[in-house]
Amino acid sequence: MHRRDWLKGTSAAGITLLSSRWVTSAEAADALSEKFPRLAEVALSHATSLGASFADFHLMQTDSESLFAREEMVQGVDADSKLGCSVRVLVDGAWGFSATENLSETAIRKVTESAIALAKGQAGWRAKPIELEILPAYQGNWELPIEVDPFTVSLEDKVEQLLGINRSALNTGANYCFSYLLAVRERKWLANTFGSRITQSRVRLHPSFSVTLTDPKQGGFASRESFLPPRAAGYEHFRDWNAVEEAALAVEQAKEKMAAPSVTPGKKDLVIAPSNLWLTIHETVGHPTELDRALGYEANYAGTSFCTPEKLDDLRYGSERVNIFADRTAEQGLSTIGWDDDGVQTKGKEFPIIKDGIFRNYQMAMGQAALIGRDGGSNGCAYSDGYDSIPIQRMPNISLQPGTDDAVTAESLIADVEDGIFAEGRGSWSIDQQRYNFQFTAQVFHKITDGKLDGMYKDVAYQGNSVDFWNACDGLGGKGTYEMGGSFRCGKGQPGQGAPVSHGAVPARFRQINILNTAEESGKKTASKCDCSGGGTAWA
Amino acid sequence: MGLSKQDFESLGEKILNLVEADGAQLWLHETEDLQLRSANNDITSNGVVDRFKIGITVNYGKQSASIEINQSNDEAIREAVKKVQQMAKLAPEDPEHLPPVEPGDYLTPINFSEATAGMNPEDALKQIRPVIEQGRSAGVDSAGYLERSISSSAQINTNGVFIHEQSTGVKFSITARAAEGRGSGWASTQVTDVSELDLAAVGDSAIQKALASRNAKARKAGRTTVVLEAPGVRDLLSILSWNLGQRNYDEDRSFLNGLVGEDQELIGNQIFGENATLYSDPLYEPAPCGVHYYGIPRKKTMWIEDGVMKNLMVQRFWAQKNGIDPLPWPGNLIMPGEGKSTDELIASVEDGVLITRLWYLRQVQPQTLLYTGLTRDGTFAIKDGKIDGPVNNFRFNESPANVLKNIVASGKQERVLGSEGDSPMHVPPLVVKDFNLSSVSEAS
Ligand SMILES: [Zn+2]
Repeated sequence: MHRRDWLKGTSAAGITLLSSRWVTSAEAADALSEKFPRLAEVALSHATSLGASFADFHLMQTDSESLFAREEMVQGVDADSKLGCSVRVLVDGAWGFSATENLSETAIRKVTESAIALAKGQAGWRAKPIELEILPAYQGNWELPIEVDPFTVSLEDKVEQLLGINRSALNTGANYCFSYLLAVRERKWLANTFGSRITQSRVRLHPSFSVTLTDPKQGGFASRESFLPPRAAGYEHFRDWNAVEEAALAVEQAKEKMAAPSVTPGKKDLVIAPSNLWLTIHETVGHPTELDRALGYEANYAGTSFCTPEKLDDLRYGSERVNIFADRTAEQGLSTIGWDDDGVQTKGKEFPIIKDGIFRNYQMAMGQAALIGRDGGSNGCAYSDGYDSIPIQRMPNISLQPGTDDAVTAESLIADVEDGIFAEGRGSWSIDQQRYNFQFTAQVFHKITDGKLDGMYKDVAYQGNSVDFWNACDGLGGKGTYEMGGSFRCGKGQPGQGAPVSHGAVPARFRQINILNTAEESGKKTASKCDCSGGGTAWA
Repeated sequence: MGLSKQDFESLGEKILNLVEADGAQLWLHETEDLQLRSANNDITSNGVVDRFKIGITVNYGKQSASIEINQSNDEAIREAVKKVQQMAKLAPEDPEHLPPVEPGDYLTPINFSEATAGMNPEDALKQIRPVIEQGRSAGVDSAGYLERSISSSAQINTNGVFIHEQSTGVKFSITARAAEGRGSGWASTQVTDVSELDLAAVGDSAIQKALASRNAKARKAGRTTVVLEAPGVRDLLSILSWNLGQRNYDEDRSFLNGLVGEDQELIGNQIFGENATLYSDPLYEPAPCGVHYYGIPRKKTMWIEDGVMKNLMVQRFWAQKNGIDPLPWPGNLIMPGEGKSTDELIASVEDGVLITRLWYLRQVQPQTLLYTGLTRDGTFAIKDGKIDGPVNNFRFNESPANVLKNIVASGKQERVLGSEGDSPMHVPPLVVKDFNLSSVSEAS
């Protein structure tokens, strides 16, 4: 099929029709804003009259649109809209939560009663009451600044760009290619008994592709996924991506991977690009410094943490040059928002997690700071992934700060490596439930010989211990090398919730890191014909 | 819980009456979840959560689009139908698109229980309280999660399909942690009928593991024989099942391509150990599941029998193209066992490791289906057929394909939870040789 054939017979008016299909959602949002004060009043007054010392009411609408193209075919044109509300109550030191998609006053009274029943059913047998901090009352409005609303861009433009990626890959020699675009808009209305009434809206975008080469004769295949991270941004994030060029490069790199020598396992110096390092930051610094985790709230699922409260202001987490900073205000940050889902204003709550190598602070939601005797209360890290989820502590944007020397680049870090590896692109990831032992792969592992890139390796994974790893960091790129990666779906909680989060990073060098040969790990005695991509869409 | 079969029928009819496209497929789904989470021997978060979904896929010839909404008022439905039709008209033709499925021969599902549907928050709190108190009196910190779900759905299309299904399920898992000596234990269960639930037994099992795993000794990593308890077996079999697709195999990008020679057939060939059998059956009483996959009937299906690859999952388009029958994604997985007790399995091992559960499994190498992950919440040394105390945890790098070649013995099937997915499964603990414990994890 020729790429534009599908447009034949479709009038221009038809195309703009599609782009208007979300306009009604914007109108619906205005209608919800009008309805919101009354619904909030119903929930909060009912909760208070039934004995709640605190209550909040969340109204949320999540819209998404996704397009999936496989080779020269568009196989997924999907839209999704989820609207509903929840009531969270605190009664005699116990939480209750209930949610429904039904926005009638009767339904809201009913969920309020369910939440109250859950809280009251704990009376008389709790070991400890839940205590909250007093939060200021805000009347606020926040909207993520974007250039082009992705929900107003025509399907034609989106499809054209996706098929262009696939064509570029196929023309360069890929056997298979898929490309994907996901756009999400979250609208949130929050009211609580402190008196806050907050309305917020944000958009995020995840364009991606994956190319695959097969070699049926040798029985091998190799893939290379795109590096472009998801961002809290408008359509410009996709529009301005030179994906056609990257797809061609990806195919060349996949070919090179198939033919590359299998790595010799052992200790090697490692330079890691931001496109890979963001996920390492996420797993080795982000999750261990969640206070709820450190205190055991996630023990039955995500796990606990090596980073226990007595290590605050004491643990040498990394070398002196390591500074890792948290915020919910960074431009294009996936975690960026005006107020968190407890109603804590995020501006002014930014904080260092690691300062000059020392562990300085945890991520916290409402009421958690007091559990470790910290002043200042929550640092704005609560999030709920939909109307049907209770807010829990989730990650802010957590980023590795540039080194002090602006002249340092990936090239100059590589120049000081005799025998090493330069890793690019997110591969697979795994880490233990207390965040000691990690193992990561990448999309591309370049070989470094005597300070220069020297082809590629295949079958590589790097493995280590979080604290040892950050202490082995002896070089960081300067300001100009800073890039932000991120994930749409960081997983936590029971039931599971997916949170979007960004991680800025500079290229960084780590000395003498344990390198595994994954072909040997899989039990193959001889070097395999494989690469080590993987990961896919699992939760990070 | 509101909608009856009749309600689904009339809602479906109402939506189909609005559709002007050539074909349409509807997926109507109502759920009511009850969630109780605990940590540090207290209830933490919880919830009563109602959800409703209307999924609509329409097509004009080979142009197709889908929409999902959760509001069921007339205006929302009208708008959704209008939008999805606009989207479909603008979508490029998909040469692989097929019209909605024809009605099939559907089994009568057995995965619904009135008792489970009747469980309310007060009942659930009453059931969980003694388990939490059990932890307090044993001097451990317990953290757990109980979830009761009721689901009611209808699959409807313009080719005359109407399938109504109801199901219930309860899942429960609990982790007990002993601060002194850094012990940790985990146990779980999953049932269709709440009256089969024995939370105290699960809680007790986690506590016993936590106490027994205190003061772990150091043990080196390396390939060894392991007794893998049912939760870990379930994880590895889930992963394997996600990768049993016919199309990827035909396109030379499956781990299965590496298991047969160039001129060898995969189907009918023994590629795993002869004690490896894996099948699905919606009417399997200990772990039943739904009877269709988007309108395609699910039947009892043998995937691997005595090590011989019997079937792969085939999508509709791929089936049509290759003149074979479609074989849908299964809703459950069953691996028969030899029925030996865990003690008997341990007794058969001279030197090895007993693993309670696996964690954070991620694919490292798709070509060999190499996965990495960790042991967690109760790992013990085995020496001369006996437990020889707790040991540190490990990171493993292993392929489920290797595991199915290296089964030495198997135990009694259990319906438990794992770390990867929660479809019903009934699998035994296994003794597996040459399991690659790749590095030590300090986590406890
Ligand atoms: Zn995460």
